Amino acid sequence: MNLVNWQAIWLSAKLASIVALILLAVGVPLAYWIAFTRVRWKFLLEAVVSLPLVLPPTVLGFYLLVAMGSRSPVGRWYDGWSGHSLVFSFQGLIIASVLYSLPFAVQPFAAAFSQVDQRLRDAASLLGASKMETFFRVVAPLSIGGIVTGMVLSFAHTIGEFGVVLMVGGNIPGVTRTISLDIYDKVEDIDYASANHTAILLLLFSFTVLAIIYAVNRRLAARWLPR
Amino acid sequence: MVASVTQATGSAVLCVDLTKKLVSRAGTFDLDVAFSVGAEITVMFGMSGAGKTTVLECIAGLMQPDSERVLLNGTDLTRLPARERRIGYVFQELALFPHLTARENIGYGLRTLPEREKKQRIGEIIESFHIAHASDRKPRAMSGGERQRVALARSLVIQPCMLLLDEPMSALDHGTKAAILRDLREYHTQHRIPVIYVTHALDEVFAIADRVLKIANGKIVAEGKPEEVLSEEREQLIQYLNAAR
Repeated sequence: MNLVNWQAIWLSAKLASIVALILLAVGVPLAYWIAFTRVRWKFLLEAVVSLPLVLPPTVLGFYLLVAMGSRSPVGRWYDGWSGHSLVFSFQGLIIASVLYSLPFAVQPFAAAFSQVDQRLRDAASLLGASKMETFFRVVAPLSIGGIVTGMVLSFAHTIGEFGVVLMVGGNIPGVTRTISLDIYDKVEDIDYASANHTAILLLLFSFTVLAIIYAVNRRLAARWLPR
Repeated sequence: MVASVTQATGSAVLCVDLTKKLVSRAGTFDLDVAFSVGAEITVMFGMSGAGKTTVLECIAGLMQPDSERVLLNGTDLTRLPARERRIGYVFQELALFPHLTARENIGYGLRTLPEREKKQRIGEIIESFHIAHASDRKPRAMSGGERQRVALARSLVIQPCMLLLDEPMSALDHGTKAAILRDLREYHTQHRIPVIYVTHALDEVFAIADRVLKIANGKIVAEGKPEEVLSEEREQLIQYLNAAR
């Protein structure tokens, strides 16, 4: 009997990688805006981005299920365009996971960006750099610790998510059955040995991820500070 | 106010007329200055909180004043963003990019130049400011004086139309300060551009100033030669030094 469901592990790794990359593309501009804008209603957007941190996954999952279902405009449009339903599909799982992991990427990104000294951005500007150039040549290199942290956290958080995946993805083997759902299934089948093997893998993975984050940040912090 | 600036344009190179109201918990601060300077080294002298840095930031386009007119040789810089003003600026904190070497810091403003010309310009300025030995070091591995020289070189290598220095030597010892001021003076002899040097240190004023603008509570209260404008402060300093013996 196969103790570890490699199909679920592969599916989770694929999902988490795609989500982390999407969050890099979406989260960086969002975090930049949050870090540097002076508009008064910024707190509203910050609250929306952080909502998944406090919202029960089932609540988020329920609303996503409704928003992406075939009765919703989005769901109907997707059905017509792709020929299949958005809910209970891998694509639907990606959208749900991006929203669910959004604060795990945006918050470290924004915190890192806002720590870059305003004077460095002023200096770049006076040396003729556009905002985009300043971002890629000054802000991003100096925020690399926060960017790595955000990427790794969103990857790890997606690997371990359960409630939202169950609500939006169902539990379809090879399509939406991720590693957490696999552990849950095995426990329900009273197959504790298999559940334990997979759970240990997740435990080791989570520990390694956190160790990497702390090591990277410590090293990067020491790199720029005066001796 | 603009009229008086326009009148002063005659032989002057840089004309500034700006107002700015700053509101903080400590109260309100009204800046209202109008002055013109030539291609000389002008020291803006004043105590902390007099508005010196605010004036420089408004000229450079880093701060939005309530009303502003900055004319350089008759060209209006007012509506240009900071990145298009081609102003050399040395911050009090220097603001060197910590992840770049001295050479890369200096070359930052020359991104659009062909590689050969860029190398040549960087090489020349590195030699002028005696920092060849530190050119491959990052700021954290440089001494205070080296960092200061790199910041000056970085602001001048772009061949700015004016140079603004915001208390750049405040953290340096007298020997290093004197050597850097000598290099700055030498550079200025070869490249005649308006330089506004902000400080509240008398030794720096008498070491470098061709002319002084004395600022207090957001207003220019006196201007002229250093020995005329700051005679009282100089006497006070001499008395203080004599008393300390």
